[in-house]
Amino acid sequence: MDVNALRPFGPASADPDLSMGLKLLSDQRRARLVRVMKIVGVWIALVTVLAVALLQLRVDPGYIVDHRQIVIDGVWVTIGVSLISIGFATILALLGALGRLSRNSIAQGISGFYVSLVRGTPLLIQIYLIYSGLPQIGKQLTALGFPQLGRLLVLDATQAGILALSLNYGAYMTEIFRAGIQSIGHGQREAAEALGMTHGQMLRRIILPQAVRVIIPDIGNQFIAMQKDSALVSVIGIWEITFRANRFARQDSKFIEMYLLAAALYWLLTIISSWLQSRLEGRMAHAYER
Amino acid sequence: MLTSAEPIIHVENLHKWFGMLHVLKGVSLAVMPREVVVLIGRSGSGKSTFLRCLNFLEEPSAGTITIDGLTVSAGSRVHASRSQIIALRLRTGMVFQEFNLFPHMTALENVIEGLVTVKRMPKEQAMPVGEQYLTKVGLLDKRDVHPIRLSGGQKQRVAIARALAMEPKVMLFDEPTSALDPELIGEVLEVMKQLAREGTTMMVVTHEMDFAREVANRVIYIEDGEFVEEGSPDKIFSNPSDVRTRMFLVRVLHRAT
Repeated sequence: MDVNALRPFGPASADPDLSMGLKLLSDQRRARLVRVMKIVGVWIALVTVLAVALLQLRVDPGYIVDHRQIVIDGVWVTIGVSLISIGFATILALLGALGRLSRNSIAQGISGFYVSLVRGTPLLIQIYLIYSGLPQIGKQLTALGFPQLGRLLVLDATQAGILALSLNYGAYMTEIFRAGIQSIGHGQREAAEALGMTHGQMLRRIILPQAVRVIIPDIGNQFIAMQKDSALVSVIGIWEITFRANRFARQDSKFIEMYLLAAALYWLLTIISSWLQSRLEGRMAHAYER
Repeated sequence: MLTSAEPIIHVENLHKWFGMLHVLKGVSLAVMPREVVVLIGRSGSGKSTFLRCLNFLEEPSAGTITIDGLTVSAGSRVHASRSQIIALRLRTGMVFQEFNLFPHMTALENVIEGLVTVKRMPKEQAMPVGEQYLTKVGLLDKRDVHPIRLSGGQKQRVAIARALAMEPKVMLFDEPTSALDPELIGEVLEVMKQLAREGTTMMVVTHEMDFAREVANRVIYIEDGEFVEEGSPDKIFSNPSDVRTRMFLVRVLHRAT
C-alpha cells in the first residue's frame, strides 16, 4: 500500500507519525486551555454574584474606595512583620531540629519542651503573655534590683508581635526541619564520616545544604500561613491590615466593607506569595542538573 | 616507623553484635602494604560488616584495629575517642556500593570536599589535586557535572577519586560494582586493577570472582562471621580445602556461567 495515501490532513510533513503526534499534542493543549478558561469563568461568575448580592444588601462600595489607602498601607506592615518573623522562626527551627536530633539529652529536652509548650498553647495567648505578661515580670525584677533585666522584658507592640510569631512558627517549623534533615539518606552521612568529617562539618557541608532544598517549599507554605496568622497581632495594636480595618469598621460601623477589604488584601497576598513560591520551586527542581 | 615487612592493617579478635545477632565472631587479620585482599562470602556472612568496622562506620563490639601504626580498641569498657576514630578514617579511603556521592556538588567538588573541609587545604590548592585524581579515573571532562548527570560507572569512578584524593594508606571497597548495570562494571574494575598494579593496599568485598582471581594476592572466604578459609586465589578457586568454601564457589561460579 502507498504510504502517502495514509498521510493525515494538516501541515505537510515528511513523517506521518510526526504530524500525527503534533496534531495529538495540539489537541491536548487546546483541551487544557478550554478547561482553564471554564474555571476562570466560574470564578468571575462567583465574584459577580457575591458583589451583586452585597450591593443589594446596601454594602457601601464608596466607603471602601475612600478608605482603601490607609488599609492598603497596612500591607507593608503585614509583609514586614511576617518576613522578619519567618527569618527568626527559621533560625529557631534549625536550632530546635538540631536539638531534637541531638544525642545530648539536655539539648533534646530543651527543644522537646519548647515544641510541646508552644504547640500546645494558642498563639493569641502567647501574644498576650509576651506583650502584657513579660512587663509584669520585668517590674518585679526591677523591684528586686535588676533594672536592666527588667527593662529588657518590656517590649513595644511590634517587638512583642514579632517575638510571638517567631517563637510560635519556630516550634512548628522545628518538625519540618527535623523531617527535612532526616530525609537525607544514611549513605550521605557515611560518606561524610568515611572522609573523616566531624559531626559539625557533616551537618554544615553535606546534610544541611541538601536538607534546605527539601525544606524551602515548606518554609514558603509557613510564610503564607504566617501572613494570615499575623492578623492576630492586631490585638496588641500593631498597625497592620487587620488593625486598620478594624479601627474604621468600629468607628463607622462599616464592618462588612472594611473586613472584606482586609480579606481581599490577604487573599491577594497569598496568591502572589504562592506564585512566587511555585517559581522558586521550579528553579530548585533543576538545581542539580548541570 | 613501619618497614614493609610489617602489616599495615592488623585486626585482632574482632567481634560485632547487632542486638542478639553475633555477626563477627572474633576474627583476626594482618594485611601487608601493597597487598590486595578480597573478601568473599554469601550476603549476611559479615564481610561488609567486617570492612565497615575497620573505619568504625560500625563500632566493633570488641577487638583492636591497627592501621598504619594507629591502634584503636573497642569493647564494652573501652570507648574509642572521636579523634581516634577520625584519625583511623583518615588512614582509610572507602568506596560504597551505592556510591554516596554528594548530589549538591559537582564531580570536582566531590573529589576535593575532604581536602578542603577535613584537611583544610585552600580551594585553589585542592582543585589541581582533584583534577589530577579525576584524570586518574578518566573523568576530567566531567569535572563540572553533578552526579545526577553521570552514569553509575562514572559515579563510582568519581567516588574512587574522592577516596583517593585523601591519600589514605588503605582503600576499602564495599561491593563497589553490585549496584551497577552489567555493562558498566568493567570500567570500575579497570580502575581498581590499575590501583592494584600501582601498589595500593586494598581490601575488597565483592562478588566478582574473575576480579578476585586476577587481582587478589589473597582471598578470604567468610561464613557466619568467621574466616573459614584464606589463601591465594589459585588455591581458593582451584583447590579449596574446606567443604563450605567449595559449596559456596560451586554455587556462585555455576551461576556465573
